[in-house]
Amino acid sequence: MIKKVTFLIFLLVISTCTGIQVFAGPVPETIHIGATVSETGHFSSEVGPFRRLMGSWAEIINEKGGIMLKGYNKRLPVKFTTYDDRSDQATVKKYYERLISIDKVHLLLGPYSSPLTLAASTAGENHRVPFIAICANSPKIYDRGFKWIVAVIDLGPRYTYRYWDMIRDEGKAKSVSFVVENTIHPMGVYDGSKKFAEEAGLKIFSSDIIPADTRDFTPVIIKLKNKDPDIVYVSSNIPFAINFIKQAYEMRLNPREYHCIHHSGVFKNALGGSAESIVGQSYWVNGMKLGDTALINNVLKRSGISEPMYPWSPAYVASFQIVQAAIERAGSLNNKSLMNNLRNLKIDTVLGRASFHKTGYGSVNTYPSQIQNGRYKIIYPPDVATGRHVYPRPAWR
Amino acid sequence: MSPDLIQLFVGSILLGGIYGLAAIGLSITFGVLNILNLAHGEFLMLGSLMGYLLFVFLGVNPFLSAVIVIPIFIVAGVGFYFLLLRPVNATPPDKLLVSSILITLGASLIIEDLTSFFWKWPATGISYSLPPLELNGIVISTTRLVILVFVFSLALLLQLSLQKSCFGKSIRAIIQCREGAILVGVPISLVSALTFGIGTALAAVAGVFYVTLFTVTPVMGIPLTVKYMCIVVLGGMGSLVGPVIGGIILGLAESLTAYYFGAEWSPAIAIFLLILILIIKPHGLFGKKG
Repeated sequence: MIKKVTFLIFLLVISTCTGIQVFAGPVPETIHIGATVSETGHFSSEVGPFRRLMGSWAEIINEKGGIMLKGYNKRLPVKFTTYDDRSDQATVKKYYERLISIDKVHLLLGPYSSPLTLAASTAGENHRVPFIAICANSPKIYDRGFKWIVAVIDLGPRYTYRYWDMIRDEGKAKSVSFVVENTIHPMGVYDGSKKFAEEAGLKIFSSDIIPADTRDFTPVIIKLKNKDPDIVYVSSNIPFAINFIKQAYEMRLNPREYHCIHHSGVFKNALGGSAESIVGQSYWVNGMKLGDTALINNVLKRSGISEPMYPWSPAYVASFQIVQAAIERAGSLNNKSLMNNLRNLKIDTVLGRASFHKTGYGSVNTYPSQIQNGRYKIIYPPDVATGRHVYPRPAWR
Repeated sequence: MSPDLIQLFVGSILLGGIYGLAAIGLSITFGVLNILNLAHGEFLMLGSLMGYLLFVFLGVNPFLSAVIVIPIFIVAGVGFYFLLLRPVNATPPDKLLVSSILITLGASLIIEDLTSFFWKWPATGISYSLPPLELNGIVISTTRLVILVFVFSLALLLQLSLQKSCFGKSIRAIIQCREGAILVGVPISLVSALTFGIGTALAAVAGVFYVTLFTVTPVMGIPLTVKYMCIVVLGGMGSLVGPVIGGIILGLAESLTAYYFGAEWSPAIAIFLLILILIIKPHGLFGKKG
């Protein structure tokens, strides 16, 4: 009897220390991952076709026989269950509850955006299902003391820290004016950028916090013309940035530099030539010396998604890599084991080194990039740069 | 007057004209048919998406697109009227208003969801811009100026058509006395359907101009309807001039507030202005009693 108890305690210790599920129940047939995608609603323009992205990655993994789980001593295929969250908080909450209670998923990938993640992540926490947030960087999400969440990307206020490092290192720009969309993510980025700008020695001429649905920027542009800052920094989502730059172009507002935190292919296509030389942030552009470029190209090609049009797609590929690594290391689909391995994970993803802070937020961050001759060039830091920073930008005549 | 203030006035007038165009359609639909069309913004959205497709895939100039969408959306509007609104047209005016609100709100949600589902392009705008004019340091957007001229021409044409044409006289007869119009043989259903079609086409034209200046998404319709309803109420229900003037006043109020007090106060001033005008003139600036 004593021998049996000792043996059981020994197994328990081994199980806890290694994360290998010794007391495995019935072996699952698949690795079941749940997620929602904003296929309709206002985020559909950002991530609408990303169900295909998940399908393509699953296809690549399953063609190799699946992911190896040592605890079961077999490879298991990956299966996704996804729903359209309609870009709506109430809907997203409902579907994440459903994914756990009815679909019985093993882990969850987060929805797009901080507001949706804020709503969805409570389901993972309440039911103790590992939740991997992808494009959600509001500190509010990670200040709640949740134990079952990790995120791919760094916090919003640090979103453009590399840009400010570059400005400080170059020492050319001396002043900045902020134009900020009054929504959760742009405000978070602005809060951090203001501090970074001050630390870089720049004088802040003005900060205009503007409602998201603003269409007429004449008052702000007149004020900016009078102040004449070196940098006009637009912290906003893409539609707001397009509308602002379009009117700034019509009114010939000519700072030495425009920085729009989001300046994807949608932005470039809508603005045409006036998008030239505008600086923004990119997680990844083709040609960067980072991570497994073959994987990202393969996933994007299979899903028919182009990175410049959907700049968040590389972050999703990074989340897939994190999922795979965590499952492989856990060796089972036990929720505690998965979460322990996720929290302690340190891997090189397609976007660089990924690890997680104790509150859950990630380490992956953006690089400053500039539109040059219609192409995106990473301009800092030099070890990953694919082009040189053009400053000052050619003025609109 | 300082150059900054002149610049603000110019910008507001140019923007107000576009607000006005969309609001005219809403105004005549309500004035003639007693139908509050909450799907108006959806037709604007559909017009803007069509303008986008014509520009991006066929390279059609937005001003030509504005002409192309007119017949298409007149037909769409007539179809919409016969399918959804004509069955309730015989109900008493107060019930008709409530029915029309419910029907058009439902239609609006269906159009929005279907478009969101099928529209696979990200948030869209087109890169069309004419070189600006500069007069004594005041920059005037030529694109907006041409749009404003287009809007005024269209409003003038509508006004003339209402006064001189047989169709216009029929509309006015319906507005004055519906029963009388029936007695003298005005084809109520046909005139109503055509009026609804014209209102829809005006929304679509405004949509083409909208995508020329701003980004559009399939979910922008309902917020725009609310904004244009404010403009119509401000200008006076059923009036043609009212919505244009209402649009310009609203645009100006928003710009001045943003310039002097900060952009975050602009939405509040619009509502404040609306309440103020409704207290002073309950029927709006150009609306008629009764």
